[in-house]
Amino acid sequence: MMQRKRKTKAAQPSLKALWRASIDDHPIGLAWSPDGKTLAVAGVSGPITLFNGADGAVQQQLPGHALDTMAISWHKDSRLLASVGQDGKVRLWHAETGAQRAEMPGGASWVERVAFSPAGDWLVSAAGRKLRLWNSSGQLLREYADAKSTITDIKWRYDGKQFAVSAYNGVVLYDPTEAEALRRFQWQGSTLTLEWSPDGKYIATGDQDSTVHFWITKTGKDLQMWGYETKVLELAWSFNSRYLATGGGTQVVTWDCSGKGPANTRPIMLEGHQHLVKHLKFQRTGLLLASGGNDGMLAIWKVNKQKPALLVDAVFKAPIASLAWSPDDSCIAVADELGALSVAAVRR
Amino acid sequence: MLKTADARVPVTVLTGFLGSGKTTLLNRILTENHGKKIAVIENEFGEVGIDNDLVIGAEEEIFEMNNGCICCTVRGDLIRILGHLMKRRDKFDYIMIETTGMADPGPVAQTFYVDDDMQQKLHLDAIVTLVDAKHIWEHIDDSDEAKEQLAFADVILLNKIDLVSPEDLEKLEARIKSMNSMAKIYRSRDAVVEMDNILNVGGFNLDRALEIDPKFMEPEYPFEWSGIYQLEAGAYEWVMGEGPDPAMGAALLPLANTGLATKEATLMDAVLTFSDDEQEIQAGEAMRLGRGQYNQLMLNENGETVFNFTIQEPGYYTLFTEHHPEEFEAFLRGADCAPEPLEPREYKPDHEHDEEVTSVGITLTGDLQLEKLNGWLSQLLRVHGQDIFRMKGVLSVRGWDERFVFQGVHMLFDGRPDRPWGQDLRHNKMIFIGRNLDRAMLENGFRECLAS
Repeated sequence: MMQRKRKTKAAQPSLKALWRASIDDHPIGLAWSPDGKTLAVAGVSGPITLFNGADGAVQQQLPGHALDTMAISWHKDSRLLASVGQDGKVRLWHAETGAQRAEMPGGASWVERVAFSPAGDWLVSAAGRKLRLWNSSGQLLREYADAKSTITDIKWRYDGKQFAVSAYNGVVLYDPTEAEALRRFQWQGSTLTLEWSPDGKYIATGDQDSTVHFWITKTGKDLQMWGYETKVLELAWSFNSRYLATGGGTQVVTWDCSGKGPANTRPIMLEGHQHLVKHLKFQRTGLLLASGGNDGMLAIWKVNKQKPALLVDAVFKAPIASLAWSPDDSCIAVADELGALSVAAVRR
Repeated sequence: MLKTADARVPVTVLTGFLGSGKTTLLNRILTENHGKKIAVIENEFGEVGIDNDLVIGAEEEIFEMNNGCICCTVRGDLIRILGHLMKRRDKFDYIMIETTGMADPGPVAQTFYVDDDMQQKLHLDAIVTLVDAKHIWEHIDDSDEAKEQLAFADVILLNKIDLVSPEDLEKLEARIKSMNSMAKIYRSRDAVVEMDNILNVGGFNLDRALEIDPKFMEPEYPFEWSGIYQLEAGAYEWVMGEGPDPAMGAALLPLANTGLATKEATLMDAVLTFSDDEQEIQAGEAMRLGRGQYNQLMLNENGETVFNFTIQEPGYYTLFTEHHPEEFEAFLRGADCAPEPLEPREYKPDHEHDEEVTSVGITLTGDLQLEKLNGWLSQLLRVHGQDIFRMKGVLSVRGWDERFVFQGVHMLFDGRPDRPWGQDLRHNKMIFIGRNLDRAMLENGFRECLAS
């Protein structure tokens, strides 16, 4: 009787490999098309490979950027992929044919960030201090006033109607229909990355000075979280905006933002990685959290249980370079720095 | 699976004043057939691939960074650019970073020690300083940058030697050696030098940089010098000559023992004492002893000024002075002895020396409420962040068993739990250093953060 009871309790998720591939390059971007049919993988040396999400068949091989690709982003209709790179260009590709649809100047030699709006027909690119807004035909809609320093990240709010930009002096909010910035969240420090909570209430940032900030978008107030081992480049919100998982060390530090918020609380510490955690992603509609580390380990966590539900440490021979849940949360794509790519179904 | 130390890519930092020959040297390195793949990060825009090598233009983005107890200035652009280069499959054998002529090599060097990714994949091999053998004389005496570039160097290249006489060259080399006896010095014309002499020399390590400038990664203090004196009971005189200023701040604090922990605690006390209201001490008057006694020693317009004090309890005392005593030819004199300072120590002075720049130290007993403190600091820094250069504190936060150690630079601040309080009396110490600080406002605001 006891045994049976234990068995029902221990219903853990498991991974079943669907397909594997290799791109023989350091994967700098890994992105599922919104319809889940295609997985785009950009290698740092330039080429972008489009895999069939179901079986791993190569659908297209895009040349990408001659001097290194830096980032990729899918259009909401899954037909267009944007890429940016060190050739100073923003490029738009037809996913189906592999043809380049447009080539636009990013404004500086290294174009580092690109992001399609999940709602409107907008694309934002950042190159150094240059911030440009385009449509999906490649027309320049707006060039913003130069940022005060190099832009480190761009993220759209989940409804696609606002976007936030981080740089060395904090975060700036924009509405794509307006020329001027909506709001500035200033911080005398180097903000490296940002992530909107799905409900839009918070913008979390990770900083070079080993801190995480929660900006409350309505009031412009912020909370600072200290004590990280190293700079924080890894941030992930759960779909219900309750949990923010953060890296910046060997543990996954998860803040519970329910109730009065994370101020004055102790975070949930998820322990299991042997080396720095480098990638964190929550499911889109579930509460499973995936983490990838410099130890080459992939872990799947049930955050509220404070335990790794699953640890995979035998598959990857190099630090994890990127990971992404499929849009329907049914599988996860993981790549290591040597270019090994694995897509596995997650069973609950 | 993970990279070993040997796999790290060596980085050479090239410094030198405008016209010293950096560009000539870089072009030589890039065109010479040495079979190595080199990435060069320059101060100019544009990116060019030259055969096998790569030249990247970087816009110097310096920012100050708080890393635990260390506050330092780092190059954000380098973290970004190098981080990306390290992802490339075709790894580079060497990376060279050219700094601007007036650059202090500190920020570039510190960048390699404060970022984990950089530390894991790169190591700072050497700082190479090019010297224009003819024109260096115009800078060597009064340019801090020139001195720093020479002092930090692992390798010094005396370039353009064809433009100076052998005697002048000897004189220059002797002068440089007196400043930096550890650097390897080579002579060159048109920056012709064996690549082995400047690449992969294994020169830089932080310990050595600290030997040259022990203040390399240290915080700034409101005083420049301290010395420990072992004093018998009796009367003493502190004798000062004329110096660059008409007055000098000083604090004399008893030191229970010469253990490291005690010295560090006394250092913190001194910082707080220097932020207290100053008390003017005129010639012939007695200096005040102990914590909170911040003496402003007023000097006579001409000649010597003598201040006195009496020691009741024999033992160790630490004297902290706003300026180096050498600047005033100052010394301590007893009834029948001239005590020499033990362990004299120099501190990095504050950058700003405006009259309005002051320090405010606050001590409070009781526990703080973290929420209130956060709220207050956010508000304070939003309004006064530009004027508050530095903040430091050891705080007692309600609900935390550990001391909360805290520090900030302008609007950037960082805190972390430290040692547990244990049996010690819980209290809060906080110091602000800045421009036009309002002590009453800061004190009241800080007091408001106490848990009710």
